Amino acid sequence: MLPDPSHPVWEQIAIGKKPLESRKPTVNLLIHSNKMSYERDQSQANVRLLAEKTHHFFRQYEALFPAEIAQILQ
Amino acid sequence: MPATISPTLQSISEVQAAIAAGERLFLAGSRSALSQLPRGNWVGGTISYFMTGEGGLHAEDRVFVTPVPDFAHEVLAEDYSAQELAQIYRDAPAHGFTFLVLPAGTQVHRLFAEQAPFFDGFLVRPVVGWVTGVPVDRIGLDAPAVFNGRTGAVMEDRGAALHVQLAPNKIADLDIVNIFESAGGEAIRFDETGFRVTQCRIGGKVVNLADYIAEHGISTEFPLVGDYNGSSINVSFQKVDPVARTVDLYAPVFPGVDYRFAKPVENYEDAFVRQTAGENFAPYFACNCILNYLYGRLEGKKTGCVTGPITFGEIAHQLLNQTMVRLYLRDIG
Repeated sequence: MLPDPSHPVWEQIAIGKKPLESRKPTVNLLIHSNKMSYERDQSQANVRLLAEKTHHFFRQYEALFPAEIAQILQ
Repeated sequence: MPATISPTLQSISEVQAAIAAGERLFLAGSRSALSQLPRGNWVGGTISYFMTGEGGLHAEDRVFVTPVPDFAHEVLAEDYSAQELAQIYRDAPAHGFTFLVLPAGTQVHRLFAEQAPFFDGFLVRPVVGWVTGVPVDRIGLDAPAVFNGRTGAVMEDRGAALHVQLAPNKIADLDIVNIFESAGGEAIRFDETGFRVTQCRIGGKVVNLADYIAEHGISTEFPLVGDYNGSSINVSFQKVDPVARTVDLYAPVFPGVDYRFAKPVENYEDAFVRQTAGENFAPYFACNCILNYLYGRLEGKKTGCVTGPITFGEIAHQLLNQTMVRLYLRDIG
C-alpha cells in the first residue's frame, strides 16, 4: 500500500532528499525530471506539484516497480 | 475487432486485407507502400528498414505491422501540429499508451524532442514510437512523412498518434536497450537545450565541442551518453563542421545533464544479443536506430529475437538516439 499523497516521503523523493536507486529508465527519467524542475523552481508550490506527480507515477506503475516501492516504504 | 495477425513484416496486399477486416494497426513502410493502403483505423510512418526474424532488411514493398491487441479497448488515430503537441497527453487514455510517429527534421520533431519532458502528462501517459525517414540514399531529396489512416491524410509537418486504451488488467511497460555506456572521464555540460552545439563545459572549462572532438580524435560513430539518475540516454552526432565550429546532433542536449563520450562498441550484433538475452517474452512492439543498422552493419544480422522498424529516432517517453525501444504489455492484478 502506497503512502497517502500528502505523506512527506513524496516531497523527499521529489527534491532528491530521499534518493531512489533504480535500473528502470522510466523511473530514472522521473527522478531526473523532478531534479531539473526543482533546480529551476524551489517554491513550495512546485515541490507539492512534484510530490503529487511522483505519487501519481508510482500509483500508476505500482505493479511494475516493486523494488523502487520497497525503497519508498523503508 | 480482434487482432488476427502478429507483429511482423507483411506484403501490401496482406495489410490491405487486415485494414479491410477492421484491424487497428500501427504501421511502418515506404511512402509508396503506405500510399497503397485504404482508409481505416491505423497510423503509420515512412521507413523502409526493418529488424526481421531473418535479420536486418531494406524493403520498399513490405510493411511492418503492429496490430493493436484484442484486449485493448478504445483506439483513436489523431494527428498533431507542433503547436498542438501538448494535446497528445490530454488525448492519451488515462490507462493505456500512445503510439507516435514524427517526420524527421521537422518542427514537430524538434519541438517534441525539446519539450516532451516538460509537458503535463510526461511519463504517466506513456508515449512510444519513432521518427520517420527515407532511404539513406534519398536523404535530403525525399521528405519523411506520417499517415493518418482514419482521415487518409499524408503529412510531412505533423505527428500521427494512435491512442490505445488498455483493459484494467494490462499495463504498458516501456524499456530501452542501450548498447552504449559512458567511457568515463570528465563530464560534458551544456548551458542551452539544442540540436546544434558550439560551446560546452568539460570539467568546468568552456570549450568548443567541434574543436575538442577534432583535437582528441573522437569517433562520432558513437554517441554522447547522458546520465539520467544512472540510466544512459544517448544523443548521436549528425555532423561536425570544423569551419563553422559547430556540432549537429540527432537529439537535443539539455542543461543539467552530465554527458560523456561513449565507449566504442566493436560488434553491434553481439552487443544486442547480449543485452536482450534472458528475456522470457517478446516485446509487443520494438524499434531500433538506423545508425545502429548502418554503423553496426546489421543488414542480414539479427538483434536478438526482437523485430520492428529501424528508425531515424526512437521514442520511449522522450526522443532517444542509437537505442532499441521495447514496449511490453504486462498482466497486472
